[in-house]
Amino acid sequence: MKTNNFLKAPLTINWAVTNRCNFKCRHCYSRTDPSEELDTRTLFACIEKIVSAGVLSINFGGGEPLLRKDLLEISAFAAGLGLRVSMNSNGYLIDRERALGLKAAGFSKVGISLDSHVADVHDNFRGISGSHEKAVAALAYLREARIKTSISTVICRINHHSIQEVIAFAVGHGVHQLNFHNFKCSGLGYSNKDELDLSAQEWKEFYINAMEAKQEVKDLEISLDDPIIASLGMKTETDSLVKGSVCGKLSLNIKSNGDITPCGFIPIVIGNIVSDELKHVWNTSPVLDRMRNKKPTGKCSTCKSYEDCLGGCSARALALTGDFNNPDPHCWVHES
Amino acid sequence: MHPLRLQVTDPVIMKVFRNPDVLWREEDEQKAQAYEELAKGEDVEEIGTSVLFSDGVMLSLNIIGTEIWKQCDGRGVEEIIADLIDRFEVDPDVLRKDATAFLAELEQKGFIRYED
Repeated sequence: MKTNNFLKAPLTINWAVTNRCNFKCRHCYSRTDPSEELDTRTLFACIEKIVSAGVLSINFGGGEPLLRKDLLEISAFAAGLGLRVSMNSNGYLIDRERALGLKAAGFSKVGISLDSHVADVHDNFRGISGSHEKAVAALAYLREARIKTSISTVICRINHHSIQEVIAFAVGHGVHQLNFHNFKCSGLGYSNKDELDLSAQEWKEFYINAMEAKQEVKDLEISLDDPIIASLGMKTETDSLVKGSVCGKLSLNIKSNGDITPCGFIPIVIGNIVSDELKHVWNTSPVLDRMRNKKPTGKCSTCKSYEDCLGGCSARALALTGDFNNPDPHCWVHES
Repeated sequence: MHPLRLQVTDPVIMKVFRNPDVLWREEDEQKAQAYEELAKGEDVEEIGTSVLFSDGVMLSLNIIGTEIWKQCDGRGVEEIIADLIDRFEVDPDVLRKDATAFLAELEQKGFIRYED
């Protein structure tokens, strides 16, 4: 009774409602993005568009979404139209009152960026002293407000040996989900990749350890969003409708000026939500068509894992090789 | 199947409910295509007419799966199966077996719950 089919519209929109930020993260993908923002009324009209297209959930990001003074108004509008509303935040601006406001505005889940269980390591990576303490406090306030929380950790050189500690930290703070994000090499992540990114072999070791931890930990959902894990042949309990990257298959990204991209880390504009119909872009974009029908090249051509990983992360392949159809440079599988 | 599971899903006494945290929608074009092909007597088992997702777990369901899911609104399992037998040309024994296994999977994923 289960099938595997193409969808009429994205399930989720990741919406960078602002590019303004109060942090100076060393891996940030959006510091070079345009600063224009859609006004509240225009955003409302765009949200109505995505609802009519069939989108089910919206995840606000940026930049720091809480720097938009109308964020709660936007959220309440989206939730009122039936969308499941969530957000990624650095947590710096979330106190008890703000957490209650988020709950009242319809937020069902808030992800807090936390890159280390060690405060100084996190603060140094995010460029703001005291940011770790604020993030931890935000988790508590959100929990009090009965909003589900997650921790988003960007895996890189500062934390790849700290899996168990980060997991214990997440469990200790009662979060619902821990997301280990792969390092994308976009924006400042590209500029600082030599300092922060792991070697292919280090990625392999990290994922083996993380997958083992995922299978052992019972009180926490651990999410690993990297398609190259498929080559490990380790069982995952998470069902997915698609193979390879989910970008352009289950979700799309909208930038602060309304530009639509396959994901936040792929700077290829395929439309604009103000002037275009989402379903038209979803159904006719040649870029999305290429992403959904990637062809194996190079070492992928002979790799037995290709049908599951589909070349790995398209954003990383694009950033490091210039073509998202190329093999993911993080892949550790040797040519056969 | 584990014997305890049979007690939990006893269709005589248990009613089945969708988990409201699960997001779902029907895929209109594929639904239309599936019903069109069904009318011609074609096999539509592999055509997804709805998609469900919750906390990273996603499922695409065919016509029968979708109809079962839509009826998880407090009805009993036997009531749902009886309705499907009325509406679709299916072997009742096969449907009962498949539907029971399907509902057990939905329950295991937390997509549905049973109540007295």
